Amino acid sequence: MTSIGTGYDLANSIFSPDGRNFQVEYAMKAVENGSTSIGIRCKDGIVLAAEKVITSKLLKQGANKRIATVDRHLGIVYSGMIPDGRHFVDRARDEARGWRDNYKTPISTKDLAGRMGGYMQAYTLYQSVRPFGITAIIGGYDSELDTPVEGEVGSGPSVGAGGKVEGKKHGGPFLYMVEPSGLYWGYYGAATGKGRQAAKAELEKLDLSSDGESSLTLEQAVKEAARIIYVAHDDNKDKEFELEMTWISGADGPTKGRHQEVPEALRKEAEKYAERMTAKDIEEEEETKEGGDKMEE
Amino acid sequence: MDHRPQAWGRPRDDVYGAYDHSYLQNSGPKQATQAPIVTGTSVIAMKYKDGVVMAADNLASYGSLARFPDVKRLRVFLDSSVVGFSGDVSDMQFLDRHLTDLSIDEAYEDPSCTAAPNGKGHLNAANLHKYLQKLLYKRRNDFDPLWNQLLIAGFDGHSKPYLASVDLRGTSFTSPSLATGFGSALAQPIMRRYAETEEDAAKLTREQAVEVIKECMKVLYYRDARSLDRYSIAVVTKDGVELKEDEQLEKQSWAFAERIKGYGTQTV
Amino acid sequence: MEFGTSGVLSEDGIHVDMDRLKKGEVNLGTSIMAVTFKDGVILGADSRTTTGAYIANRVTDKLTQVHDTIWCCRSGSAADTQAVADIVQYQLGLYHMVNGRPPTTQIAAAVFQEIAYANKDRLTAGLIIAGWDARHGGQVYNIPLGGSLHKQPYSIGGSGSTYIYGYCDANWKEGMEEAEAVAFVKEALKEAIKWDGSSGGVIRMVVLTEKGADRHLYLPDSDYKVRHQ
Repeated sequence: MTSIGTGYDLANSIFSPDGRNFQVEYAMKAVENGSTSIGIRCKDGIVLAAEKVITSKLLKQGANKRIATVDRHLGIVYSGMIPDGRHFVDRARDEARGWRDNYKTPISTKDLAGRMGGYMQAYTLYQSVRPFGITAIIGGYDSELDTPVEGEVGSGPSVGAGGKVEGKKHGGPFLYMVEPSGLYWGYYGAATGKGRQAAKAELEKLDLSSDGESSLTLEQAVKEAARIIYVAHDDNKDKEFELEMTWISGADGPTKGRHQEVPEALRKEAEKYAERMTAKDIEEEEETKEGGDKMEE
Repeated sequence: MDHRPQAWGRPRDDVYGAYDHSYLQNSGPKQATQAPIVTGTSVIAMKYKDGVVMAADNLASYGSLARFPDVKRLRVFLDSSVVGFSGDVSDMQFLDRHLTDLSIDEAYEDPSCTAAPNGKGHLNAANLHKYLQKLLYKRRNDFDPLWNQLLIAGFDGHSKPYLASVDLRGTSFTSPSLATGFGSALAQPIMRRYAETEEDAAKLTREQAVEVIKECMKVLYYRDARSLDRYSIAVVTKDGVELKEDEQLEKQSWAFAERIKGYGTQTV
Repeated sequence: MEFGTSGVLSEDGIHVDMDRLKKGEVNLGTSIMAVTFKDGVILGADSRTTTGAYIANRVTDKLTQVHDTIWCCRSGSAADTQAVADIVQYQLGLYHMVNGRPPTTQIAAAVFQEIAYANKDRLTAGLIIAGWDARHGGQVYNIPLGGSLHKQPYSIGGSGSTYIYGYCDANWKEGMEEAEAVAFVKEALKEAIKWDGSSGGVIRMVVLTEKGADRHLYLPDSDYKVRHQ
C-alpha cells in the first residue's frame, strides 16, 4: 500500500494528496474480515441473517446475539468490530426513541438510516476519533396502515378519513446499508463481511425488485438467506458457525410488523434447505469437473 | 422611567408605587401542580381459576359533561398483562406511552419475543405492578402526581393469576377482586360474594367471572352518574389477552319503572 | 367583572392586581369546531374575543395555520394559544425542511399535545387540530385543558360549544359533501353564537382538501347567508 510511511494514514482529519481518507479505508478492512451479514428486502418483508463464527467451545449456544432490535419494527445486523456495532445499535435506539418522544410515532427506516449515516460520517472528520469498524445493515417495515399518535384515544369517522390521495402506497419493507465512510444506500439485498462477494452474487440471482408472481415471498427469503449464509461460509469451512436470523413482516404477516427472531422450527427448516442446496452445488461442481476431465481424455 | 428589562410589562413604579414582587415569587413551598380534568370512571377486575377478567366503560368525562364517549381505558402490555386506568386521561396517555417505551426496552433484551407470554425473562404483571407503584409513588413525592388509579392484571412469576392496584399516591393493594372509584363501593361487594378469598376465586370458571363482571358493569351504569353503557372487557389467560373494546350492556332492568307512581301514596 | 382584593391600590385609585393581569387577560370565550367530510376537513369559529364582558376584538381570527394544510382552532387564553401555535408552526416548518416531506396531522397533533401536557399547570388552552395530508386525508384531533389527545370524526370546543352538543349530535353525518358540511358548521356556530354571550361576530371557516386551504367568511348583518370570502 502506497500510503504506508507517508503519514497520510495516521489520522482521520488528513486527506492523502490523491483525495483519500486512509483511516476510513482501514476501517473497511476491519469489516472485510468480520463474519458475514446479509439483509433481504422482499415484497412482504425483511430478513436479516448473520453468520456467527464460533470462536470458542466455551460460548453458550444461541447466546451473544449479533442482530439487534432497535424499535419494534426495526432491526440491525453488522459485520466488523462487534463492540463498535454495539455502540452503533445503542445510538440507533436513542435516535428511534428520540423520534418517538418528539413525534409520538415510530421513526421510518429511511429516517433512521439517514441519521445513522450522519452519525457514522461524523466519525470520519475528527482527529480525536476513529471511524467505525463496521458496516451495518438496517432493516425495517414501516407500517402501511394509518399509524395513530402514540397514546391517542378515540377514532375518526367509521367510513374512514375523507380526501385521501388514492393509489399511493405508503410504508412497506425497507433495507439500508451504512458503511464506515457514512455512505448509505437503500438495497433490495445487502451483504457485508468476509463472505460478501459470494453472498452478493447469490442475492443478485433472486427476484427481489418486482411485485410479480416470481418475486420472493418472506418465507422463501428466510430460506434463501440461510442458504446464502451457508454459501458465503464456504471459504471459511474449517470454522464452525451458528446461523442467526430475524425477520419483519407487515401488520398482516407472521410478525405483525415487528422485528423478531425467526421461529426455531422455520430456522431449522431453512438450515436443512441450505445444507441440501450447498451440498448439491458441490456435487454439481464436482460433476462438471469430472465431465471436463472426460472431454480431455 | 425604568427601562430595564426587569420592569418590562409591569406597572410603572412612579405611577403605581413600588412593585410588589411577592406576586411573582416562585420560592416557597411548591404547589400541588394539577387536578384531573378529563377523567375516566371505575375500573373493575376479578380473578378466576385460569386468569383475570377486567372491565371499564368507554367514557371520558369533562366534569359532568360526557365529553368523549369512545375512550378505551384498558391497555395490553406485552401481550400478557392488562392495565386498566381510571382518573385523568392525559396522565393515562402519558403512562400508555411510557409502557410502550418499556415494552420496546424489553424487545432489546429478547429479540425472539416468540416465547410464551408468561415465559421467563418477560416483564410479568407482578413486575409491572411493582414498577408502576414505584413510578406513581415517586411522582407524588415530586408533588407532581399522575392522577390515576390503576388495576394491573396478568400473571406472577409462578404463573399464578395476578391482580393488583396502585393509586396516585403510590398506595398498592392486591386482592382476588379489585375496583377503583365508584366501583369500590358498588362493584366490590358484588364481586366479593363470588370471590371473597383466593380459594373462592380459584374455583370460578371464566364464564362465571365474566358474568359477575358484566353484572357489576350494569350496576355501575345504573348508579354511577359518570358512566356509560358501552364498555371494554379483557380476559387475561396463559395464552394471552382477549380484549373486546366495544361492548354494549345487555339485559338491563328498567321496565319496573312502570310500577313506580308518584313518590309515596300516589297510585296513578 | 369582579376584582380580587390582592394587589396594590395606588394614589390615583387604579387597582393593580397581578392575579387579575394573568387571570383576566384576553380570553377567547369561544365557539370553535372542526369536521371531517368526504374530501377533507373544515374548521369553523366565531370572532369574539372578550375581557370579562368587554369585547376586546369583534373580528378575531381564531383559525390559525401551523402548516400548509394543518390548522388549529384556538380557545382559552389568547396569549397562551398564540404562543403554543407559534411554537408548533416553527416545529412543523423545521420538520418539513429536515425530513424533506410535509408533516402529517398526526405529527402536528403530537407536537401540540406534548406542549399542552408538559405545561398543563401553566396553560389555559383548548385546541382543535384539523389537517389534511395526502396519506391520511382529513383528520380532526382535540386537545382539551389537561393536555390529553382525542381523535374525533368532528369536534366542538370553547364556551359556546356546550350549547350545541345536542344540535351537532343530532345533525352530524359521516362523509358529507363539502356544501353540506359547510352548512352544518355554519348552522351549529349560529346556534352557539345565539346562546353564548362570549361568542359572536362573524363566522370564519377554512376548508382543507387536496386543493389546499380555502377561507370562508359569513357576516351577521346578512344573517350569515352570503359568503364574503
